[in-house]
Amino acid sequence: MSDTLTYVYAVARDVDDAALDGLRGIGGRPVRVVTVGRLAAVVSDADRAEFEERALEERLEDLEWLAATARAHHHVVDTLGRGHLLAPLALATVYFDDDRVRAVLTDSRETFDGVLDRLAGRAEFGLKVYARRGGRGATAGRERAASGAEYLRRRRQALREGDTALDEAREAAAEVDTAVTALAVASRTHRLQDATLSGTSEPMVLNRAHLVPVERAGELAALVDTLAEHPRIRVEVTGPWVPYSFAQTQQAQQDQP
Amino acid sequence: MTEPESFELTPRATSLFGDEEVALVDLLDRLLAGGVVLVGDLTISLAGVDLVRISLRALITSIAPVERPGTRGGTQRSGAAASEAVTARAERADRELEPGDG
Amino acid sequence: MAERASGDGTGPRIEIDKDEVRRDLMKLVLTIVELLRQLMERQAIRRVEQGDLTEQEEEDLGTSLMLLAEAMDELTEQFGLTPADLNLDLGPLGPLLPRDR
Repeated sequence: MSDTLTYVYAVARDVDDAALDGLRGIGGRPVRVVTVGRLAAVVSDADRAEFEERALEERLEDLEWLAATARAHHHVVDTLGRGHLLAPLALATVYFDDDRVRAVLTDSRETFDGVLDRLAGRAEFGLKVYARRGGRGATAGRERAASGAEYLRRRRQALREGDTALDEAREAAAEVDTAVTALAVASRTHRLQDATLSGTSEPMVLNRAHLVPVERAGELAALVDTLAEHPRIRVEVTGPWVPYSFAQTQQAQQDQP
Repeated sequence: MTEPESFELTPRATSLFGDEEVALVDLLDRLLAGGVVLVGDLTISLAGVDLVRISLRALITSIAPVERPGTRGGTQRSGAAASEAVTARAERADRELEPGDG
Repeated sequence: MAERASGDGTGPRIEIDKDEVRRDLMKLVLTIVELLRQLMERQAIRRVEQGDLTEQEEEDLGTSLMLLAEAMDELTEQFGLTPADLNLDLGPLGPLLPRDR
């Protein structure tokens, strides 16, 4: 049995061979394609030892490995995605060899065509919203409370205001999201991001992905500009992404009209 | 004019939002919960892997193990056992968390 | 940490940055103290709202908490720490301290 596997990054349509020149993926391996008709699986060799199921579970807990693999994977998808219609695959999809990939392409041809048709002319944008920090705000710099009872009253007020601020931020975020959803043909909610990983101190209140027709991206940019000075929230948009979040086949039924 | 079959993403240098760096968190959001899900030959693809659990384990493994005095039957609990206990709590918490898919 | 050759022939010595160790330790200690302070404060407020306390008890409790908060401010400032420094994120268990004080 071979000790290399075929790692599949994405399935594309009409890949231009010149685009593969010098393109490197996981482990620095050269990227190539396995084609069936117009469909092309974008692949590279990978070490079997790295991707066996048990080894993989451990590696997932190794943030360094995960980060390196994710970036290498993304590099391939993102580079090719600039000039090609491309359906990204979930991370670490591996097959025994190219022949197996060819078989999968053939068997799932209609599925891939369906996904690709839905993604054509569209890009993914991430909408992330954070609540601006209220902090000690109004109480900072004020005179010391005149009594213990007054101190408790002030603290009670401050805590109440803090809770309110978070609620208001969530409401504002929902409004922004509604506006962006109107520009998109599909939208999806992601889990709120873990602060240890993202390194922010402001609480995240919204994390959404939107599939937007490329020609409407300017409207999105304009909308976000108007929100730069919003008192309650900080809005961040990421993208354009190759549509990772919209490549699942069951999404087809959930797309907005 | 764009053909229906292909499209140009805005080149990164003049990207709409000026961001050069792709944040790892944003990438992991997409790579661990996105993409076409196929059953590979050796692994089930990683769709649905809980990112939160990963971050908690990464955090736990970065904390040095602590020797705890025995609480039940006078047995000594090692750092590994303590770490496992926290992981078990985290996994219970994971199951209670709502999935993020919309 | 810095390595430095020892003059008396006993080999290189590693100097531990004492300030750094002290600071890290204080950060941990202050984080825990801050957690307790916030818990006590919330508990005190809840009891006041429930009408559990006499006026004197309310006054004494409030004064103690106020003094504790001031002491915390002084200590954190002394060690060059910000409120955001005094936190630990436990993933699905949430941050140790609520992010908005």
